[in-house]
Amino acid sequence: MRLSEEASQFHYLQPDYDRPVLEIPAGFEQRVKIKLKQLYDEEACEKWYPELARICKVYYAYKSSQMISWDQKFDPANRFDQEDVILITYGDLIHQEGEMPLHTMRVICHRYFHDVFNTLHILPFYPYSSDRGFAVLDFEEVDPHLGTWEDILDLKKEFKLMFDGVLNHVSSKNKWFQEFLNQNPDYLDFFTVFSTHETISPDHLKLIVRPRTSDILSVFSTLNGRRLVWTTFSADQIDLNYNNPEVLIKMVEILLTYIRRGADMIRLDAVTYLWEELGTSCAHLEQNHLTIQLFRDILNLVAPHVALITETNVPHQDNIKYFGDGSNEAQKVYNFALPPLVLHAFQNADASILTAWASDLSPISDQATYFNFLDSHDGIGVMAVKDILSPQEIEKMALRVLEHGGYISYKDNSDGTKSPYELNITWYSAINNEDADETQELQINRYIASRSVALVLIGVPGIYFHGLLGSKNDAELVIEQKSTRSINRKNIEKTELIKALENTASTTSQVTYNLMQLIKIRIKEKAFHPNAAQRVLNLSRHLFSVLRISTDGDEQILTIVNITAEEQSIKISLPNHQLSFRRCVDLIHHKAYVVRDISLEITFRPYQVIWLKCHNEN
Amino acid sequence: MNFETKEFTVSEIVVINLPARVAAETSEELKKFIKELVERKNYKLVMNLSQTSFMDSSGLGALVSKIAVTRSNQGDVRLANPREYIRNLLELTHLDQIIKIYPSVKEAVNSFEVKS
Repeated sequence: MRLSEEASQFHYLQPDYDRPVLEIPAGFEQRVKIKLKQLYDEEACEKWYPELARICKVYYAYKSSQMISWDQKFDPANRFDQEDVILITYGDLIHQEGEMPLHTMRVICHRYFHDVFNTLHILPFYPYSSDRGFAVLDFEEVDPHLGTWEDILDLKKEFKLMFDGVLNHVSSKNKWFQEFLNQNPDYLDFFTVFSTHETISPDHLKLIVRPRTSDILSVFSTLNGRRLVWTTFSADQIDLNYNNPEVLIKMVEILLTYIRRGADMIRLDAVTYLWEELGTSCAHLEQNHLTIQLFRDILNLVAPHVALITETNVPHQDNIKYFGDGSNEAQKVYNFALPPLVLHAFQNADASILTAWASDLSPISDQATYFNFLDSHDGIGVMAVKDILSPQEIEKMALRVLEHGGYISYKDNSDGTKSPYELNITWYSAINNEDADETQELQINRYIASRSVALVLIGVPGIYFHGLLGSKNDAELVIEQKSTRSINRKNIEKTELIKALENTASTTSQVTYNLMQLIKIRIKEKAFHPNAAQRVLNLSRHLFSVLRISTDGDEQILTIVNITAEEQSIKISLPNHQLSFRRCVDLIHHKAYVVRDISLEITFRPYQVIWLKCHNEN
Repeated sequence: MNFETKEFTVSEIVVINLPARVAAETSEELKKFIKELVERKNYKLVMNLSQTSFMDSSGLGALVSKIAVTRSNQGDVRLANPREYIRNLLELTHLDQIIKIYPSVKEAVNSFEVKS
């Protein structure tokens, strides 16, 4: 569903205290207090619950009466539909001299993409000091180099918006950390601080799971001398101390500010590492889940239309725990196992492992679903498949990425070794080797075939801007910016982009329009509803096939993709796969197929994608 | 450009002496050269970087352009004697975590004979 243009103005700039304040239901108080007691203790709960309630009431006072009425009618079971497709982008990915980047983004998205994507994920657009936005200086401002809150609201006129909640850490230049350095008593407990390295025993150090090989503790000079501070990601990204309830309260306030500013979805960045507890892995602890559940309680009360999405590059079974019981935690979870498994299938021309894994994916609940992505601003995470692919298979995949001009990022293991954490490469370069003696047509077909997998599975698909364009690696930017992730983060000149999109012979144009063509078909079909039933068919190791059945049972679409560079012919015995239809039409190529006896015969061109809408009448 | 090589016929190791600059103008030729070696089933390659003072991203790409193929055939691509500038590049791109680096050609060659 689309929040109407009108709804983009559904928050006042000032709170309205003339009307009755929010009445907090007893059930909410009970649920939140239970969590506060579990996270902290009885005393903290009694001290901080009233503050949480106050923050909720303040947010409510910003809501216009239309917004209140709209939220009252909102049915969480109707949160998703097949029109939900997310375009992931940096706010300044497209550059035009003399224009603010968020305005330029709006112009491009309006001109080319608004009838294809209904949601825009604008990666952190707040003032920052490093990691391209993920070291936030001020959570409540728009980076003046990108634009203003008005530019964000302008984008909301055509798109639902996904904001980043960078809740795990702040920039070392953030005012809270600066106050810590000043030893302001109000901020001494905002961060996890040690006096010496020895405070963490070697045994505890070994247990810590993190995606970097840098020191976990960074040294800072403060008014009262040297301090060692917990930094999961870099010395410029200082972890917040959630053991301090004040930190949690501050973050709730920030989340609600984002909703006032137009967020329909909030991506909880690096939420795996939210809580630290020595003697544990310090990754996806039970406290993380409780914290997200607490956020969900608050949103359910004051902004039920807003969804939480968790970004946790961890083994698949741990990843999906962030759904909670399907109704009490994240509404969307990044499907981290999907990209490496699709890459593995296409690298090896063998979909067996992808098919087996996808067969186990089932709808979570009518309120929650997967976020199916193949690429993002980060690399292709491999942690999610460490229990699905063997270490040898992961290494082979990583080496192939090197051969395709990409890089590998490593993480520390508890035994002192290092293992691949993510593969840094654009999806186009991962799937295609620029040096291969192949036609442009074959490479584009291979690319579209790979992308089709994320468009047919249960869940909401998302595509990174460079993935939509089929961008190739920018390895030189890696050296210039001293970051392997920069390989997939190049800014594009608006004029160059328009030229490429409108040159029908260009790879950019062909990739973009072919991909948009698939999406345009998807968004019209109720069998592609994010939670429509799914059955993965094991037809052949060379084909990946998914049957989708609309929630009302009226429509079925059988999707099949040839994941090889060879022609593939298959005779599908319908009863053997519990299929039942008389004829079908390929929605992509508009070709009709008729069932003869009980079988369907199809010959696939290399990397051909077929979406068969099945009919029972002749 | 021709790349000077030394082949150890008994152990099937090929040492490739890289020029002072391995950048856009030479990388394609280096990739082609490595491809031809691999097609001739030379899977144990040592890149002698002692003379190389500059390398760009295309040069780095060329070094590893056949690393999966060599390793899947019981071979490898190993580096010998990189200067500090190249070492820094390898570290920055994390290639130092996956490619074995030796202080001399002799040690790189011996590493194959001992370990492989």
